[in-house]
Amino acid sequence: MTTLERRYRWLLRAYPNGYRADHGDELLGILLDSAEPGRAIPPAREAVALVVGGIRARVISAAQGPAWTDGLHRGVVALAMLNLAVLIPYAGGIPLWLALSAVAFVLVLRGHVRLALPVAGAVAVKVTAITMGHPWLDATLLPVFPDGPWSGPALYGHGGPIAPLTSNALIVAGLLVLASRRERPRARSWWWLAAVPLVAGADPAWLDIVAGSPTAMARVCLEVVLLVGAACAGHLTADPRWAVAAGVYLVPATAVLWENASVELVARQDIAHAALLVVLTGAAVAVPFRARRRSLR
Amino acid sequence: MSKGSSGLSEQTYFVLAALLDGPLHGHAIIKKVVDLSQGRITLAVGTLYGALDRLAANSVIVVEREEVVNGRKRRYFRITDEGNRIVEAEARRMQQAAAVVTGRHSLGATFA
Repeated sequence: MTTLERRYRWLLRAYPNGYRADHGDELLGILLDSAEPGRAIPPAREAVALVVGGIRARVISAAQGPAWTDGLHRGVVALAMLNLAVLIPYAGGIPLWLALSAVAFVLVLRGHVRLALPVAGAVAVKVTAITMGHPWLDATLLPVFPDGPWSGPALYGHGGPIAPLTSNALIVAGLLVLASRRERPRARSWWWLAAVPLVAGADPAWLDIVAGSPTAMARVCLEVVLLVGAACAGHLTADPRWAVAAGVYLVPATAVLWENASVELVARQDIAHAALLVVLTGAAVAVPFRARRRSLR
Repeated sequence: MSKGSSGLSEQTYFVLAALLDGPLHGHAIIKKVVDLSQGRITLAVGTLYGALDRLAANSVIVVEREEVVNGRKRRYFRITDEGNRIVEAEARRMQQAAAVVTGRHSLGATFA
């Protein structure tokens, strides 16, 4: 095997396994046939086209099955991951609830929605208890402060209970809808686990945009990247499942505005952040319908 | 692409045009597109197969047959009746659009 072939094979890994098994050799044959003699490095335009083509093929292969339930499942997976990431800095104070939140996330991730329902329900009750200051389910010393390497306010100490309650209520409601269906949602990739530390480090619990901390900005950047990605996926596939997931995320992400609206605590940066999320989610919703009319481009 | 067009990009138009004379495999399509576009369009392999997958999903082309050459599978793509209709409609649209400009020149030459 030549160096060029090895490098092309490595680039072809951008495509999903099934596509590579069916057509990988065909693509490789053309790439090698059209290569200049003695060439060892793939031309940049071929390399970029393979990566873009691979991502496109992955997105298209992900758009299988009923769009609304798949989108709802994606949204619930994202919220369950956010729930877990929020609790990680408080592992020492609430180890049991962190563990149950992790179990709920993995069960939701792998499509075991009926098993996830009681676990996520228990976590939702505990989150409600902590935000309302009640000793439900077990005795937890309140407030819960972050552990050594983390800094910041107490758990749910920055803002009222509406945002975490909305998030947990959506998780439980989404799981109820998914559990009522005959078909189980498909198991999602274990790569989602890699996103947990990333989100945990991106200020998931106390989004203080006004202070402009690097972690808060990292979270805003992450949100923008994911919502733009949802719009791009909708454009490629003309499928609304990513828009549904974005909509599920938008509800708790903007709930904090309603929470603070009555006490006039909302700064213009918070309004700008919410407006950004609404506009990008709106774009993610609109793009698939527009793409249906231009599917041949 | 302007409003009111069939929604074909220039690359897709030339891919369909390349198939008008009969089924071709991927490498032959790339070479024919270079010829038809007089060297303006050289499709990257990833781009070509993205377009072929999209066109096949919309039943504009189909896989006519498969061959194994040097141990590697090779698919031959054929344009469908729907694909023929689309590419011909696009050609007529572009011809009409071009006539707006070229017709003006010839009128100017006539009355000069």
